[in-house]
Amino acid sequence: MLVTNMPVWSERIGVPRTVGVEFPYGHAFGRPGDRAMQMLVIEAALGLLESAASPGEAVAVDIEWPQLLDEAKRDWQPLEPSPIVARMIEQRRRQADQTRRPADNASP
Amino acid sequence: MSVDSFKFLPGSIAAYYRNMTVPREDPIPWTPMRKPLRECTFSLVTTGGIYVKDAQEPFDAEREKREPMWGDPTYRRIPRDVRQEDIGASHLHINNRDLLADVNTVLPIRRFLDLEHEGVIGSLAPTSYSFMGYQQNNTEWRERYGPEVAAAMREEGVDAVVVAPA
Repeated sequence: MLVTNMPVWSERIGVPRTVGVEFPYGHAFGRPGDRAMQMLVIEAALGLLESAASPGEAVAVDIEWPQLLDEAKRDWQPLEPSPIVARMIEQRRRQADQTRRPADNASP
Repeated sequence: MSVDSFKFLPGSIAAYYRNMTVPREDPIPWTPMRKPLRECTFSLVTTGGIYVKDAQEPFDAEREKREPMWGDPTYRRIPRDVRQEDIGASHLHINNRDLLADVNTVLPIRRFLDLEHEGVIGSLAPTSYSFMGYQQNNTEWRERYGPEVAAAMREEGVDAVVVAPA
């Protein structure tokens, strides 16, 4: 039984049973300290375990994340960029520098 | 309700994932439930990178900092009686604040103990499991650590597993 905020992967890969939640990363079962929200997700999982009759079945938990989207998109991310993201940012910076330089050189 | 799988991602990463192709399991694995929930033993799995402080090593974030394409593929055994204050986290790709405040956000041990107490499920197994979800190469998960965890679950009489990527 998978509980995930990216049920698209279940569809693509083929997962036996999936509960989809539209929650930010690091919060598959909901908000900290919110027992009611956590139980709703778990009840959906247990319900699907009981009801699913064939592989690939999925349900979605009908809860809207109670936070402004822009805030939620920032909030789940680490305070410092992960190493791979930091490397990508650095690579893009270098590419931007290299793209700028020929134009700079062409200036009178 | 239909879940938007890309809702919380930055645009460039969402675009990358939208176009990503992955091999499909065919046929989809399937094990029917053979018992009612009240007789089932459950185990839980998270990829939230949590560990038990002072008893276990954190996931190897230092190597990942040196080798950004590498992620620690090992796992940690999380006992059912773990205390919130003993939970540590070493996952460099999410903000660990909320799971350090309440581990049930990623590994709902306390909620399953409640369900056990209420008789809704048979029991929560002695052990749940934590992986660190940043893996560019999942060979070790598939060939070594996944089978190891599955064998340990069988030894503890686990009937059903709830897996939650972080």
